[in-house]
Amino acid sequence: KWKGEGTTQNLESIVIGRCYDYIRIVNPSVGEKNCSQIWEAFKNAFINKDPCSILPKDYELFINLTLHTIPPNKSLFWENNQLLVNSFADRGRRYMSLGDTLFGFVGDFLNWCGQADSPGLDYESCPTTMECENNAVESFWRMASITYAQHSSGVIHVLLNGSAEGGAYPQPGFFADYEIPALQKDKISQVVIWVVDDIKGPDIDSCGTHTVKTLETRLKTLGYDVTCTDN
Amino acid sequence: MPLQQGSARMRQRTVLLVGIVVLLAALVLAVVLASLLTHGRHEVGPKMLKWKDRGTTKNLQEVILGRCYNYITAQHPELGDKDCLKIWESLKDAFIYKNPCNITPEDYQPLLELASHPIPCNKSLFWSKTGELVHRYTKSNQNFLTLEDTLLGYMADRVSWCGDPSAPGINYESCPKRNECESNPGSVFWKTASKMFAEAACGVVQVMLNGSVEAGAFRSSSIFGSIEIFNLDPDKVSEVHIWLMQNIGGPQSESCSGHSIQRLISILEERNFKIICEDNYRPVQLLQCVHNPDHTDCRLCTNST
Repeated sequence: KWKGEGTTQNLESIVIGRCYDYIRIVNPSVGEKNCSQIWEAFKNAFINKDPCSILPKDYELFINLTLHTIPPNKSLFWENNQLLVNSFADRGRRYMSLGDTLFGFVGDFLNWCGQADSPGLDYESCPTTMECENNAVESFWRMASITYAQHSSGVIHVLLNGSAEGGAYPQPGFFADYEIPALQKDKISQVVIWVVDDIKGPDIDSCGTHTVKTLETRLKTLGYDVTCTDN
Repeated sequence: MPLQQGSARMRQRTVLLVGIVVLLAALVLAVVLASLLTHGRHEVGPKMLKWKDRGTTKNLQEVILGRCYNYITAQHPELGDKDCLKIWESLKDAFIYKNPCNITPEDYQPLLELASHPIPCNKSLFWSKTGELVHRYTKSNQNFLTLEDTLLGYMADRVSWCGDPSAPGINYESCPKRNECESNPGSVFWKTASKMFAEAACGVVQVMLNGSVEAGAFRSSSIFGSIEIFNLDPDKVSEVHIWLMQNIGGPQSESCSGHSIQRLISILEERNFKIICEDNYRPVQLLQCVHNPDHTDCRLCTNST
């Protein structure tokens, strides 16, 4: 029916398991959370609805239940280099990327959607963002990204891929459309941009050129103190 | 005189009745009190043994199940036929209601059978005293697998568990430390799983050792030194590559020519393995350099290239 992959098998066990894994082992400093309640809030955001009608604010309760502080100077934003970011952030020890927060951790690399007039998850297929923007997964990450940016403070870092086709700073993109607008200017002291090329990859973009220049200009116009480093 | 007897008997009966009612009331009160008291204490059985190490991880079942499904669904779909519920049950049965000082490798056999999976040749990566670094390496280079990157190790990593003969059979308060008793659920698990991991290795195997530890990079008392090297199968494993890593700018306690390494090499050669030892294997050193990018050892061009 839809063009995208269906819901990940055993989604409930994975989400609840990841939730407890996070609060008991990965980052116990976030304190006690009710993981069953969190699963319910997550699920209720998209089940029994037209899978093309899910909005970011449908995840509001889920976010409220999973929210925790992000230590200042530890936020790491990124585009087109998720594996590198995961490696570099070292599961929150060096930096805390969105995937290292509780709300990002439970959803990372998973897929899900529901169906209208049925409480079940659709394991057959799910709409891609090209088929419809307001799908369960897209809206989840929009909400999570906005929340992540809103709660970031101090020196924030952005890791961009200088070898990416189309430029290191994608527009449209999550950083451009959801994260930058949600940053709290009075809480942020500096924006540090890193443009890193793939080893043996092409040097398509760098600081001061093309899309990176666009990003630097935009941030400076917004009033941020911006630095940029290549590789 | 019947009337007097009658009233005396009535009085007796009344006293008896009152006595029975009072007794019944006391009984009911006792039952209510007992249930209230035991309800408050049902998580920590009053007779549970007390130990010196941290207790069973809370929500152990959810964590283990979630990790199992995460591993076979999101990370290794070729293992899709594994039954995570059965795997959890077999782990639980290995230690629940048992005295945590009496655990044997046989207790874990059903779990090992259900959760084990083949490991591609040339990918096994053993380690000793390099836990953080070796796992950072396998996270960024999926060409190598430590025990903690297999389903079994992935589920159990950084999690603890132990049982107790009294209800509810799992001790969330404390678990035995190794020096309290060796045959505790955690130690026996890791020894048994390590033995199986070594037995499953084939082709060229790798081991990452720490050349900055005072007590020596290779210790016979470590799991690697006491279990893994003796369970490598000479019919399956051809070579052992040693990566001897020193801390950047840290003490250079030992290198490939050091005493304990020579001892390790002789043990392995006696078992007919070919050995290659490399000081500060570059790909791993580059990971260490993330923390020390300005150190001379971290320059992009070294004299050797």
